[in-house]
Amino acid sequence: MTQSGEPVIAVADLFKCYGDVKAVDGVSFQVGRGEVFGMLGPNGAGKTTTIEILEGLREPDSGTATVFGMDISKHAPSIKQRIGVQLQSVSLYPRLTVTELLDLFGSFYNHHLPTKQLIDAVDLGERAGARSMDLSGGQQQRLSIALALINDPELIFLDEPTTGLDPQARRSLWDLVKGLQAQGKSIMLTTHYMEEAAELCDRVAIMDHGHILEMGTVAELIGRRFKERAVFFDTSLKLPAEQLGKLDGVTRAAVEDGQTVLYSSEVAGTIGALLALADSLSVEPHNLGIRQATLEDVFLDLTGRALRD
Amino acid sequence: MKTLVGLTVANLKSLTRDRAALFWTLFFPIMFVLLFGVLFSGSGGSKVTVGFVDQDGTATSSGIRDALASDRSPLTLQIGSLEAEKAAMQNGDVSAVIVIPKGLEAAVAQTRTGRPASVAIQLYTDPSQTQTTQVVQVAVSSAADNFSLAVISGPGQSAVLTVTQLTLASTNVSTVTYLVPSILAMALMQLGVFAAVPLVQQREKGILKRIGATPLARWKLVASNILLRLIVAAVDTVLIIGVGIAVFNIQIVGNLALAAGFVFLGAGAFLAIGFALASFLKTEEQATGVVQVVQMPMMFLSGIFFPFAFMPDFLRSVARLLPLTYLGDGLRQSMVNAPQVAPMAVDAAILAGWLVVCLAISARSFRWE
Repeated sequence: MTQSGEPVIAVADLFKCYGDVKAVDGVSFQVGRGEVFGMLGPNGAGKTTTIEILEGLREPDSGTATVFGMDISKHAPSIKQRIGVQLQSVSLYPRLTVTELLDLFGSFYNHHLPTKQLIDAVDLGERAGARSMDLSGGQQQRLSIALALINDPELIFLDEPTTGLDPQARRSLWDLVKGLQAQGKSIMLTTHYMEEAAELCDRVAIMDHGHILEMGTVAELIGRRFKERAVFFDTSLKLPAEQLGKLDGVTRAAVEDGQTVLYSSEVAGTIGALLALADSLSVEPHNLGIRQATLEDVFLDLTGRALRD
Repeated sequence: MKTLVGLTVANLKSLTRDRAALFWTLFFPIMFVLLFGVLFSGSGGSKVTVGFVDQDGTATSSGIRDALASDRSPLTLQIGSLEAEKAAMQNGDVSAVIVIPKGLEAAVAQTRTGRPASVAIQLYTDPSQTQTTQVVQVAVSSAADNFSLAVISGPGQSAVLTVTQLTLASTNVSTVTYLVPSILAMALMQLGVFAAVPLVQQREKGILKRIGATPLARWKLVASNILLRLIVAAVDTVLIIGVGIAVFNIQIVGNLALAAGFVFLGAGAFLAIGFALASFLKTEEQATGVVQVVQMPMMFLSGIFFPFAFMPDFLRSVARLLPLTYLGDGLRQSMVNAPQVAPMAVDAAILAGWLVVCLAISARSFRWE
């Protein structure tokens, strides 16, 4: 949230094709110092290509990408000294230990943090002597974060940091990222978990088919489209759709993920009317609930399909 | 420098902790030496017994006899008449027969007066007894060359003593001397070509890409890979020659500096071939398969396990296309004075050619992810 001065990342009109596929199709955004910026989108949206251009791993076809005010295509070596990188699903030298890997990667930088400090920071103390091939998925991911922090970077890139992790490991990684944010690091991450974006990010860009569809804080993104809250229940309840749309307070009715969802500006009235309708037809709505609209709803509204389709 | 050493140590640790890789790079060639050594070394120890027929009967011919029977020679002589020795060879009592013809001393005397003359040693060998035959040929040709060099006054003059090869069937007595440089060549070839596998593996796992996101210069990554393989090549060389000497008492008689040169040039050339292969292979499974397809035929068609001279013509043309032929040839010539397939300069030039071309291909085509 603490944006001040020059942005750490500035991207303008970025394009990148692979053959006929436009992976990144005219993307522009900025990330402020100390900000956690998230790119949310399904697989193949262009998130990874965008982040890898910024990491100096790919050349864009056109457009500009600057990090710390320097053009990435001209100053990659000095930018790489100051950024931390965690790539999607990388396994490291399988037969080296946690300590050996950190020592090795530290030697690639002009300055690096003590290995011990990093091992403690990611809570791998008990596994310091273990080979990376023997670590669990969550531990490997934490090692990968430790490697991204080895040069005490000002800006950290995390590409789908929690994909494939169990909920507990995901939680502990979120805590780690929040700790980094508290230290004032700028972070850019990609994810296809909307709850992760909502939990961690100051600002989110929703990406699909190489485009940024919408960008802002989570509250802004939801508020821009949904003034209402959602009333939901199992679709198995056969209620006539045209009648649902006319219930009190309902602005829109939709079917999402096996649930009927009624967006309502006046929830109490909607539920009352819904129950009365169900009663008159002698049925009972199962798993009835109320929630705020989420990023998932925003994505669905923007693209007409769910995030994980 | 610190980075380079660190990276090389990391690669070395990865290698030594990988039992399969360790087996193929270190123990497999040594197993070969032991296996072939046991197969080919007869009960008579490391020396080969040959018949010696002196038809000249002069002090000069005695000198040649003494040279061939010296401690450093791989031969033990059994002296007798031509008929007796040929019969002994057919019985398997001797592996070859060396005949010094009448007129040797006369030819030497004539050459010394300025009218060059020449006589030929008749050497009866059995082409089917390949290893023994190699050893005898080496010993006799080098004795003849040394003798000629001592007599003639300068370059350009034709040799006084030459060797004529004759064949005679015999029974087997053999040696491993010829085989050790060949197995070393095989080990260096495998070392280089197999380097494609960890490279492809590191690319497939994203390790190369991850390192690409650090400020490490790419040339250092390449250099550390080369350094690692050269270290292993040196270890392999010492082990293979060491086992050859310790267990089978082989004689390394050649120029060691030259041999070391061939070891590193050969390792470099095959490493470049490994890099070039890694440029075109995508998965580890692919790499493992293709590496076998490349190295297996090379192993059997390059005259490593049977001498070039005894190959059928069409196999010889195939062998002439393979770089391993020239590494084996260079190592055999420089280590044990074996007869040549090509002059050593040609061997070296061909290996250097493979090195340069494959490095250029790798530089153009290698993908980091």
